[in-house]
Amino acid sequence: MDVSVSMSGIAKRFGTVRALAGVDFELRPGEIHALLGENGAGKTTLMNVLYGMFPPDEGSVALGGREVRFRSPQDAIAARIGMVHQHFMLVPTLTVAENAVLGERGGRLLRRRELAAVSARLGELAERYGLDVDPQARVWQLSVGEQQRVEVLRALYRDARVLILDEPTATLTPIETERLFPKLRALAAEGASIVFITHHLWDVIDWADRITVLREGERVGTLRPADSSPEELARMMVGRDVRLMRVVAGDAAPVDEPPTSPPKHDSDAAAPTLAVSGLNARGDRDTVALHDVSLSVAPGEILAIAGVEGNGQPELEETLAGLRTPEAGTVRLEGRDVTRADPAERMRLGLGLVPSDRYRRGLIRELSVADNLAFDRLGGAPFGSEWRLDRKAVASHAAELIERFSIRVDSPDQLAGTLSGGNAQRLVLARILSRDLRCLIAAQPTRGLDVGAIEFVWEQLAAARDRGVAILLISTDLDEVMSMADRCCVMYRGRLVVDWSRELLDREKVGLAMGGATNGAPPEPARSAT
Amino acid sequence: MAVSQAAARPLWLPPRSRGLKAGLSSLGALALSLVVGGLLIVIAGGEPVSAYSSLIDGAFGSPYGIGQVLVLAVPLLIMGLGLALAFRGRVYNIGAEGQLFMGALASGAVAIFLPVGVAPVLIAVSIVAGVAAGAAWGGIVGVWRARWGVNEVITSLLLNFVAILIFTWFVRRPLRAPGSPDLQGRAIDPDAVLPTLPDVAVHIGVFVAIALVPLAAYLMASTPFGMRVRMMGFNAEAARTAGVRSGRMVIGLMLISGGLAGLAGSLQILGVAGRLDLGISQGYGFTAIVVALLGRLNAWGVLLAALFISVLQSGGQAMSVTEGLPYAIVLAIPGVFVVFLLIADRLARG
Repeated sequence: MDVSVSMSGIAKRFGTVRALAGVDFELRPGEIHALLGENGAGKTTLMNVLYGMFPPDEGSVALGGREVRFRSPQDAIAARIGMVHQHFMLVPTLTVAENAVLGERGGRLLRRRELAAVSARLGELAERYGLDVDPQARVWQLSVGEQQRVEVLRALYRDARVLILDEPTATLTPIETERLFPKLRALAAEGASIVFITHHLWDVIDWADRITVLREGERVGTLRPADSSPEELARMMVGRDVRLMRVVAGDAAPVDEPPTSPPKHDSDAAAPTLAVSGLNARGDRDTVALHDVSLSVAPGEILAIAGVEGNGQPELEETLAGLRTPEAGTVRLEGRDVTRADPAERMRLGLGLVPSDRYRRGLIRELSVADNLAFDRLGGAPFGSEWRLDRKAVASHAAELIERFSIRVDSPDQLAGTLSGGNAQRLVLARILSRDLRCLIAAQPTRGLDVGAIEFVWEQLAAARDRGVAILLISTDLDEVMSMADRCCVMYRGRLVVDWSRELLDREKVGLAMGGATNGAPPEPARSAT
Repeated sequence: MAVSQAAARPLWLPPRSRGLKAGLSSLGALALSLVVGGLLIVIAGGEPVSAYSSLIDGAFGSPYGIGQVLVLAVPLLIMGLGLALAFRGRVYNIGAEGQLFMGALASGAVAIFLPVGVAPVLIAVSIVAGVAAGAAWGGIVGVWRARWGVNEVITSLLLNFVAILIFTWFVRRPLRAPGSPDLQGRAIDPDAVLPTLPDVAVHIGVFVAIALVPLAAYLMASTPFGMRVRMMGFNAEAARTAGVRSGRMVIGLMLISGGLAGLAGSLQILGVAGRLDLGISQGYGFTAIVVALLGRLNAWGVLLAALFISVLQSGGQAMSVTEGLPYAIVLAIPGVFVVFLLIADRLARG
């Protein structure tokens, strides 16, 4: 059998953490090969080894039967391997063409004529593979989907025959995802080998030729989608049976009346726990990020804010939590105006935030798990007083929450930075849900988590809702929105564009609205291409 | 990626190498810096072994020598503790020198003019005035940063010069010693002069300094305030999200570190100079930064670092006299030490 890449017995440790323990991986020309596994299973590490980011501790890599040792990604690129990282490696202020040649030519400036040649070649490639991107466009002007195409294009420009994509669907709209895979298929048809890393079962089932599942640094198996089922794959990933929640919607009762009325304000009878009206805020680059956002969440209700990344969700999250000052509008918590209150004051009034960036906002890596579970409530009972921190109380509090939220730790004194993504999120949830909450802002609570952890987070959110907490769920994950929402708004370019109740929720419509289409109209054309 | 994370790690947490390994790397760095110091001595035409032995002799050879080490250690220790606390919260107060001088000015003015006949009361009031003035001078910087996000490194650094100029003006003009032509300020009320221990000639401020060490250690490790400071230092965003009021914390840390610098200035006036005098600090506010870093922002570490540096500096003066070597060599050693220490940390991280 023809083999383009063969990795055997790859082992890699980071300090005391075993990332890979003797993994074999094989790639054939013309195939789309999915690398599936939970967070921390070693998928990205394995591909980073192939891409020359770091050498393996043990094992060997062979290309077309010849053993290779890459000392850097440069070597890998020279060997025609390309990688599209989860977080794009593009310079926003440069054009697509400039980005494509970046790092190629020892720092010399490109002459205009050369750049024109580069653009022409990029245009040609773009046309051939249907990756429509304008080579002259500056990267900051492009949407996330377009930027991803630029990354793919750049790899092709460098003649990649092996293309690695790390979580390519994580930041795309459902529509963009559906557009990406046929293009990868076309590439593979020309003999390229494509690896995509994912923890989304559905991507895998629909698009991969072969699937390799990793768990805890070991290869569980390699199989074809036709020979498997989602349940089996989930079991292989997690190592136990998992209740899968692929969503009800889509098959739900058809809706005649498209309820695309603007978001209703204050119309509900029950006094809302969270009431926001006319909120305007600017983003970090001083662009207007929130336009006249109004919403209300009743006790015991989950209002989902669906939307593709980059439409104002972080600003909404921050403004509601008191981390960003709005330019106009009011935020009320149980009737009390908290528009100007700081985070501490809002927390005192019963607001909790599960931040979208759990490592930047949710926890402190350098502190122990026990400290992380208590640090938002120090200075009073049961943790001593302002003058004394009761370490014993902190420890017993930690033991209790670790048990209740099944956080997997060796010891409560372990640094929080050593936890895997799913466990880190359990820790954040444990701290926040153990507060006396009235209202919870859960921003991207399952981003980057594996199936098992997602299940856990959803259960916890549902339990909080059932206790009467008003929950605002900000999510880019359509599955999550469809499974959790009692009501759903879609956020598009800083505005809330629709407000649907559970019965009226329809997967297709929400997906379209996330792309900017409401009322059945086609999406607004994006700035340049598409 | 891994590299940038390691580089961003605060200084006082040598990852995966606490305890023995950190101790060994510190000792290695110390040995290397003494070797470099020896080389400098050779270059200056001296003989390292006899130079170092005269340094040791100067520092420990007589009760007076030991006393001088302690007297010098007092301001370094007091300021080093305050700076260590502030640095833990990533509040980089570079203005201890200026805060010391403002504390000295206020404390001296009280000790000159306040008509209280009772010595302990006069001393207490004078010290409180010094602490308050230092705290205020630091607090301004804290307010600027908390309100308008002005970088405290720049403002606190520049305020040093303002403070020293204000102090100088007072010493030259309104508070000049009567009949004195040069830069001598007025002598303080004899009642305000701190008692001195016999033989060693150490003022009793040394007890204050020593008592502050366990206090600071407790504050850093065992209070909610100390935890919040660490939270800010490790991850200011997460701290803010968890309800830590960062503005207040910044102001608080500037007040504390400024107040301690003011205390150091006050003790220099009442215990060492006995008058308003520009010579009360030879850049001690800056040396205290090195003390805080060498002590790894740990209270007990700061104690060791303050003693180490004052042995070097105090003994070094004796060395430069007996061996005819430039004093600057001695001043170079702690600097070289810090550099080696940082390199050793980096290597220990792998």
